[in-house]
Amino acid sequence: MKATVAEGVEVGTQLPSLSVQFTRERLVRYAGASTDFNPIHYSEHFAGQAGLPGVIAQGMLTMGTALRVVSNWVGDPARVTSYFVRFTRPVVVPDDADGVEVEFTGHVSGIEGSLVTVSIEAISDGQRVLGAGRVEVDLGVRVPHRDHEG
Amino acid sequence: MAITEAHAGRRYPPNEPYQVSAAKIAEFAAALGDDNPRYRGESPIAPPTFAAVISAPAWNQLFGDPELELSRERIVHGDQRFTFFRPFRAGDLVIATVSIDKVRVRTGSALVSAIVDMSSRDGEQICSAEATFYHARQALG
Repeated sequence: MKATVAEGVEVGTQLPSLSVQFTRERLVRYAGASTDFNPIHYSEHFAGQAGLPGVIAQGMLTMGTALRVVSNWVGDPARVTSYFVRFTRPVVVPDDADGVEVEFTGHVSGIEGSLVTVSIEAISDGQRVLGAGRVEVDLGVRVPHRDHEG
Repeated sequence: MAITEAHAGRRYPPNEPYQVSAAKIAEFAAALGDDNPRYRGESPIAPPTFAAVISAPAWNQLFGDPELELSRERIVHGDQRFTFFRPFRAGDLVIATVSIDKVRVRTGSALVSAIVDMSSRDGEQICSAEATFYHARQALG
């Protein structure tokens, strides 16, 4: 656990970003691990029948991967006290070796005592695929940020 | 009769208790590509969004309620909130209970907000999952 993460945290602090390739293999792995076997996440046939442009990633895979930005930063995932996202756009995953890249970023958008709010974004193919992403973490110590500039 | 706003408040019986295992935690963390050390070792915790795995059978209970006339292939996950009171740990026996919080019916569609309460067998609250699902009355696309 990084005890020093609270030091120097300000509203606006950028967290290290994360870039992840979503491939069909990743979707199949997540289907098995999560027991979500909806075929739109691995079958072109069923995705087409549902009116989708192709096989799409599980929303929860995108949500779960995005949280790595915060858990990598805070060290201990047990510090996460709440997490919200809106699924704004499906991530279409082509059937090739590379799949599609999803870029995850986060910045501190609020501080109250030891509670830090991180706003997160996920971009794929130039489009935001998560909306209003917010993670609350309890750093366990009061964050010594400046309440007022100057 | 299809889903209506009057279904808000409906509470379903608790699901079969879910046993969190170290093996399933490892599999789930690997699927997320997450090598956080807290997900390994002798007493691992689960990645926070593992809550969705435990919620899924509860959601399925709601989706399968014949009175609501929902059709799974027309359901889209709109948004998701998790509130964590403590992490899920290997060995936890979790009881998930789903209830309908809110229903908004529009022409040709419905927005259903559902809350899954996840607690240990002795009643300790672990996580609350609030989801909004969009249901189209006609086939999507």
